[in-house]
Amino acid sequence: MINRFLIGLVLLPSSIYTKMGVNVNHLRAILQVKLMMDDRRPNTFKQIKQESNKIPVNFATIVTMVVMSLFGLLFIFPFFMTSNTTTQFTLYFSMFIFFLAATLISDFTSVLIDVRDNQIILPKPISDKTFLLSRLLHIIIHISKLVIPLNLAGIITIGITKGIAAAFLFFGILPFAVVFTIFLINTLYLVILKVTTPEKFKSAITYFQIIFAVLIYGSYQIIPRMIDETTIENFAIPENGWMIAAPPYWFAAAWSSLYDLKGSWYQISSASLAFAMPVISVWLIIKYFAPSFNRKLAMISGSDQAEHKTATSIDASKLPKTSLMEKLSSVFTKSGAERMGFEFTWMMTGRSRDFKIKTYPFFGYLAVYLVMFFIKKKNFSLDSIRNDENSAKILLLIAIYMIGMLLMQAITNIRVSDKYKAAWIFFTTPIKQPGNVISGATKALIFKFYLPFALAVSCALIPFLGWTILPNIILGLCNQLCIAFLMVYINVRDLPFANADIGTAKGSKFAKSMLMLLLPFGIAGIHYLIYSFTAVVFILAILAVIAVWLIASSVYNRGWEMIKTSYE
Amino acid sequence: MEPMIKLENVYKNYGTKNVLNGINLSINAGQVIGYIGPNGAGKSTTVKILCGLIDDFTGNVIVGGINIKENPLAVKRKIGYVPELAELYDVLTPKEFLGLMGELYDIPKELADERIRKMLTALGLENNINNRMDTFSKGMKQKVLIISGLLHNPDIIILDEPLSGLDANSVIIVKDLIARLANEGKTIFYCSHMMDVVEKVSDRIVLINEGTVIAEGSFSDLQHQLGNNDSLEKIFASLTSNQSNGQAANDLMNAFEKQ
Repeated sequence: MINRFLIGLVLLPSSIYTKMGVNVNHLRAILQVKLMMDDRRPNTFKQIKQESNKIPVNFATIVTMVVMSLFGLLFIFPFFMTSNTTTQFTLYFSMFIFFLAATLISDFTSVLIDVRDNQIILPKPISDKTFLLSRLLHIIIHISKLVIPLNLAGIITIGITKGIAAAFLFFGILPFAVVFTIFLINTLYLVILKVTTPEKFKSAITYFQIIFAVLIYGSYQIIPRMIDETTIENFAIPENGWMIAAPPYWFAAAWSSLYDLKGSWYQISSASLAFAMPVISVWLIIKYFAPSFNRKLAMISGSDQAEHKTATSIDASKLPKTSLMEKLSSVFTKSGAERMGFEFTWMMTGRSRDFKIKTYPFFGYLAVYLVMFFIKKKNFSLDSIRNDENSAKILLLIAIYMIGMLLMQAITNIRVSDKYKAAWIFFTTPIKQPGNVISGATKALIFKFYLPFALAVSCALIPFLGWTILPNIILGLCNQLCIAFLMVYINVRDLPFANADIGTAKGSKFAKSMLMLLLPFGIAGIHYLIYSFTAVVFILAILAVIAVWLIASSVYNRGWEMIKTSYE
Repeated sequence: MEPMIKLENVYKNYGTKNVLNGINLSINAGQVIGYIGPNGAGKSTTVKILCGLIDDFTGNVIVGGINIKENPLAVKRKIGYVPELAELYDVLTPKEFLGLMGELYDIPKELADERIRKMLTALGLENNINNRMDTFSKGMKQKVLIISGLLHNPDIIILDEPLSGLDANSVIIVKDLIARLANEGKTIFYCSHMMDVVEKVSDRIVLINEGTVIAEGSFSDLQHQLGNNDSLEKIFASLTSNQSNGQAANDLMNAFEKQ
């Protein structure tokens, strides 16, 4: 319904298209299919959530539009927090440009880099003009589906608080802000391609998606807690100096000066940039950026040229002879199968895009939680922590046990993979006890996702809290290892990256999941209670080590009868 | 008789690497050409040039009497292309995907729908016409690709590893189809690494290496040129490999010997 409306809308000037040499029937057919595929494609939000790739995605457009309109609600707070109109619009456009840029960088790749077009559409009798226009209109429709719902709340708010004319004026300025944002993305893509290889381009975009997810979550959690209402109410952006270098200010100044039909020399100069810069951007994109951009995109698609470069780009002499991974696996694993599980998991967790996008945001979420812990306290300082034993206890325990949540997340996420069929390697090789592989995988995750961070944070806290915290650090680490192996023992009945989704694995019952969620909190609570009794701390640490050894041995010796996989 | 496909002194390079070094070919209507060569020989580049996917080459390419550089769209209408990889918009159903193909070749909708139904039925996919292709096996996707290349009843059919992933029954159907299409006067340009199939289906075999045609003729012509009765596989190896027959196997077996 929406697609049909949008296609009808963009094809209104079809007689002009025909005069330009475009085949409107081809154009319509391509757009219909592209929009149908957009509807069935998971977006950034669905990718970051742990949703199985096997579940067909329908109506993604409607879901995205609803989500975008909800995000748009976040942008309207400046209209209620401050009375200065230019400040209101500068803050609004800042949030809008940032959000749109971040969303497009994440989602745009699938619109721009659909290399299948090269094999499917280009060999067909389609004129270049028709194909290029189909791409352009697809991008315009894609952006409209984001921009319109994203600004719906803003338009309504401006309409109610400042009048219908004000809302129309705002709507008229929006396309200029959108064009400028696209220019920024185009530039960023070219910069990424300049500093990295086309083969690593998608990885760079993945990391950007992760940073984006963390920034959104962080702003949602932290900004409302930091706002001091009385200060912001009287806050006004200084309309002089370097403000002219801030694009959001241009668009705010454009709205203010056109709405009031007056303005200072500074404001009018900035406003003129709001219209001039997007026009210059379009010229730059068409004249200089687009050709090299298309060439680079062709390289990303794995053209022969890219293959030649890849083939020569690896210099074996520069590779380390024995990596950290190999050193660790040789020391901490007992059998070949365990070593294989360790090294396989170590490498896959660093290279699987699916795993990274599900797990890495947790680093950011943890940082956000820690920041929230600090800003919740009024008059926070490190001295106050040092002098307040209770705060020191809580800080240490939060550091140790919350980093463990990252490990739990990693343990959960290695159970699934979209490449689960590659798990044949486990079933065709003479592995006597698959527990060896699971044990190796668990150890790899501990060394990669827990120990470096837990030790770094603990060491950083020693100078502030003193050496007396050492026994508690040891107990915390032992407890966390115990929790990790216990979780694997109870919950993990699958080989690493060998399942299509969690639902196919045994032991994913609700009660077990809840137990695993509550266990770290329970143990951290007990640790809090005995924190000051050093002798008890030492005894419990020894007991925890024994428990880790017993549970880890049990995992190590697990037989094939306990294993479940989608590969079967 | 005017050849259906004619390549004259075709050169193509990627940066400093020359991929095609003066290819000359003349193919008549109704011929099945087996176009073979080792990896990196320039087969895919030739196919991309014929399909109008690469236009920055030097030399002349005439397809159906039309210079591809002057009128690539007219050439594309004459060609049906089945790509090597199962490249599809696999969130679509076969009906939706092939419907798009029909639109792009300007086939009237009713006729396209009728052909799609009949062709899917012929290849055993009639029960999957409305299922999304992301659930399909590689062979099922390959069948859809074959249909997409034949849907507009082209004069020239370019097949790049068309049997990839197909089961034995489907292979027989496609091989039979190639013979029937050639009898109808269609020109088939068949790229493959499966020498036994090339040997059987081709009227003429063109062997390229390092961007140059190094041998061509019917299978018996090639045997005659080399003065033996070897299979195409052995002829291929003797002309393109710098190792003697069995040398690689010996080297592999030597790897098991104790150092």
